[in-house]
Amino acid sequence: MENLIEALRNADPAIQAIGVSVGGLLGVFATIAFFFVLIVAADRFGKH
Amino acid sequence: MAVVEYSQLMQDVFIGFTSITWKMLVMYGIGGLLIWLAIKKQYEPMLLLPIGFGSILVNLPLAIAWEHEGVPGFLHILYDAGIANELFPLLIFIAVGAMIDFGPLFRNPLMIFFGAAAQFGIFATMIIATLLGFDLKTAASIGIIGAADGPTAIYVASKFARDYLAPISVAAYSYMSLVPIIQPPVIRLLTSKQERRIHMALHEKPAPHWLRILFPIVVTMTAGIVAPISVPLVGSLMFGNLIRESGVLERLSQFAQNELAYLVTLLLGITIGGSMLAEKFLNWQTLLILAMGLVAFVFDTAGGVLFAKFVNLFLPHERKINPMIGACGISAFPMSARVIQKMANDEERGNIILMQAIGANVSGQLGSIIAGGLVLALVPLLVK
Repeated sequence: MENLIEALRNADPAIQAIGVSVGGLLGVFATIAFFFVLIVAADRFGKH
Repeated sequence: MAVVEYSQLMQDVFIGFTSITWKMLVMYGIGGLLIWLAIKKQYEPMLLLPIGFGSILVNLPLAIAWEHEGVPGFLHILYDAGIANELFPLLIFIAVGAMIDFGPLFRNPLMIFFGAAAQFGIFATMIIATLLGFDLKTAASIGIIGAADGPTAIYVASKFARDYLAPISVAAYSYMSLVPIIQPPVIRLLTSKQERRIHMALHEKPAPHWLRILFPIVVTMTAGIVAPISVPLVGSLMFGNLIRESGVLERLSQFAQNELAYLVTLLLGITIGGSMLAEKFLNWQTLLILAMGLVAFVFDTAGGVLFAKFVNLFLPHERKINPMIGACGISAFPMSARVIQKMANDEERGNIILMQAIGANVSGQLGSIIAGGLVLALVPLLVK
């Protein structure tokens, strides 16, 4: 991970933007997925 | 000597006339256009009207409203008090949080993913902006226009690209108000008539009260762990929501939704307008930013719709999602949901998908602040 960040630091702005985009989209989906699990779990828990 | 003094006197008397430049005249035109859009077309009037007036005010000769003889004018004071330190967007978020009802999302939890997919425009636009020559921080701020979320756009731009704050804010709010014009053609382009006619079952079961209280707290804590820098954004939005959902602060909730929202919106609008100094605003970058704002909204809409179509590949026939719902994953709440409901009804009278659309739309609010927070966290890792 450290190497990847270091490589991106020295890369073109467009490559940096792609790096941020991949990280950002993964981060958004992962966080949202966590909220999804929370809501579904709360629903299941609420039924019992 | 007397002639020189007279000439100087005349110059002082008519300084208002003599110091007008063509750029100022253009800014009066832009201010007038924004006011016209606010009044005649009713496009985000609460913001476009103050922005339009502020842009005229600050471009009057000598820009007294901004600064005079080294003393900050009232617009400059407001700018320092509310924009430079990011206070106004955060106060707006408390108000917005108090307005959001996550109930429709709790009833249709799958809709939450559209709040992530429709952030695609942020990142696509950021890449395009770097290809057009903007540095990464500025490109990220331009991309955030695609959050379709004015306060987030202002917050990120005030951290990363203060020089471009005015065009970014104007683009964010203008395109938000143009959602009914931008989204339908993109959706029609990407979906078939049959897909637009898909009906979706409505889940009536209300969410338990404890979930409504726990949700804003968990969201804040999660954001604080995933991207600590996003805490002011997420925290203020969720604080407003907690006030609403607690059930014991009804008057505070009403205050946040009304007086606080109106007051801060008014101050925010005129202050953004006040930052539109002709010399800073009138350049090619502004035009590019406005163009890329539109690109961001188009990609957001496309991202949401295409993601819905992708999800449909794995769903049984009776559970298929109307792909138009994906477009509601942007944060323009509740306008986007209304647009999609109207489109669904136009395609087939009586097709009600409003609750699912609102579920996706409030997810867009979540997705946009998370995306904003992640951009704030990731970009400084790569550039100082």
